[in-house]
Amino acid sequence: MTHVVLQKLNKVYPGTTQAAVQDMHLDIPSGQLVALLGPSGCGKTTTLKMIAGLIHPSSGDITFDGASVLPIPAERRGAVMVFQNYLLFPYMSVGQNVGFGLKMRGVPQKTINQKVIEMLELVKLPNIANRRPKQLSGGQQQRVALARALITAPKVLLLDEPLSNLDAHLRDEMRELILSIQRQLGVTMIFVTHDQEEAVLLANQIALIFEGVLQQYAPPDVFYRQPISERAARFFGGVNFIAGTRRGDRVTTALGDFVFNPAGKDSAPEGAVTLTIRPEQIVLQPADTRNSIAGRIRARIYVGTYTRYKIVLNDGSEIEATRPGDVGSLEEGDAVRLAFPEDRIWVVAQR
Amino acid sequence: MWWERWRIAVMLAPTLLIIVVLFFGSLGYGFIQSLGYQPNIGNYSISLDAYSTVMFSERYSEQFWRGLRLTFFVSLASTAIAAGLAIACALLLRQTFVGKRVATFLFQLNLPVPHLVIAIGIIFLFSNSGLLARAAAQMGWISAPSDFPVLVRDTEGISIILAYLWKEIPFFGIIVLAILQSVGEDYEDLARSLGANGWQRFRYVILPLIMPGLLSSSIIVFAFTFGTYEVPKLLGVRFPEMLPVMALEFFLNPDLNARAEGMALSMIIAVIVLALVVVYMWISDRAIRQT
Repeated sequence: MTHVVLQKLNKVYPGTTQAAVQDMHLDIPSGQLVALLGPSGCGKTTTLKMIAGLIHPSSGDITFDGASVLPIPAERRGAVMVFQNYLLFPYMSVGQNVGFGLKMRGVPQKTINQKVIEMLELVKLPNIANRRPKQLSGGQQQRVALARALITAPKVLLLDEPLSNLDAHLRDEMRELILSIQRQLGVTMIFVTHDQEEAVLLANQIALIFEGVLQQYAPPDVFYRQPISERAARFFGGVNFIAGTRRGDRVTTALGDFVFNPAGKDSAPEGAVTLTIRPEQIVLQPADTRNSIAGRIRARIYVGTYTRYKIVLNDGSEIEATRPGDVGSLEEGDAVRLAFPEDRIWVVAQR
Repeated sequence: MWWERWRIAVMLAPTLLIIVVLFFGSLGYGFIQSLGYQPNIGNYSISLDAYSTVMFSERYSEQFWRGLRLTFFVSLASTAIAAGLAIACALLLRQTFVGKRVATFLFQLNLPVPHLVIAIGIIFLFSNSGLLARAAAQMGWISAPSDFPVLVRDTEGISIILAYLWKEIPFFGIIVLAILQSVGEDYEDLARSLGANGWQRFRYVILPLIMPGLLSSSIIVFAFTFGTYEVPKLLGVRFPEMLPVMALEFFLNPDLNARAEGMALSMIIAVIVLALVVVYMWISDRAIRQT
């Protein structure tokens, strides 16, 4: 269990002026599972490799349990990385792959063999030590890669896009496996992903990064309820954005005034703001018409577990609302009233 | 339709025919001649006399066995040293450094230069009257150019090995560089994060990854150096002679009866090279099945 802190971490690659990572500050308590989330090229993998010791930061510090690890080379840092494409050594058996880290440390072969069996059992793949990597499925290869990393008892386990190469069924299995291992061993885990769903599925905390800059560091649900910016909201599937002006707990928009309850977690100053509400939080045909506006259903899309409505508002703009299953009898062309519950509205500063 | 089934085979046939006729035709004809069958000079009998003469006769046996040893030594040494140095160069050339493009260009510069030109270059540089000998004498390191160590036309084949190194290091180098570039550095990063130090990363990661390509190019280089005569003819001594030069001299002998010995020697060279190709195929097949 290791407490990891990134302090004002910067990385500028030679020959470039734009920082790949800029003033990154991140405090990862021991035993946490943290996601570095962001679009491709945002600096998340660079950050992960700096923690692993594979890339040296231009400035800043990385500490494990309060002590700087920058002078410690990657091979002795104890931050082990599991790569996205697993990278099992093709010329070794599964057992040799898993035992690689111990062999590099000069551990006797008998002990290695014993630990390999334990690790393969931990990842629920007993009796495959003699197989070759090419004889394994993608999911099995990933488990072997995980076992190979865990056998060295790392201080920090670093995972690069751990679920993105797997199909839906295997994603669930792998998610449960990673979470159970994390609970069992208590190892601090940091993973990178460009997929917000993957981040939400696995992480205790998510660090959202755009262009090398940390935008927001919070538990997954916060990104849905209280995103730091319109861009952060869009990254998490937000689609409803209405420009307005904030005065206290009231936002005046072209569609009318909306009262909201920031619940003490205010993110926007008075003045120009963007009001946002998630489609599933909008109440269609409310009994109470406070905070409500009128519109007309342009499209009705049945998605199985819910139905999505695209609704054109009076000013010509469009908003999206969803209802669980196929409740009610709203059809395309129907006039409809939409209410924005006060405690579901969130406002962010316009940038 | 029969045409659909045989289409690819028929289209390949002309090329395969040329290869088969040239390879097996010349090999077969050479083998028959090595058995002494030469109708043009009235020899119709078939025997293994030429082989026996070359390998066991009082006149040629010492030359043959010492020549075989020298040929093996030169081919093995030049292949192994070139491969080793090429790996080291390729590992350096894939780093980022000032002047990398120039260094890479210079590294590959020798590739299009014929072996003969390189052999002459070796004479100019390393012989007792060559540039290095004169420079050493000028600097006062030796009293006269003739005191320079005998590196050209020496009995150990040093100058031949030097010529082959000059030529084959870039050949191995571009193959290793290409493999390293296609593999990328992720495996090494992974090994590093698992605790492997520099030597361990080379021994357990880089070497196994480049080994299949390195083996196949080693066989090409070994087979070439084992069977070619230009460089040893220019840089070698009369005794011991490398086997291809010995074969050439049998061919150049005005006595056409010597042709059988020349062919027998060529067959021996061909069998050794073929045996090595079989060994290589066995090794690479195993490597492929493992990956």
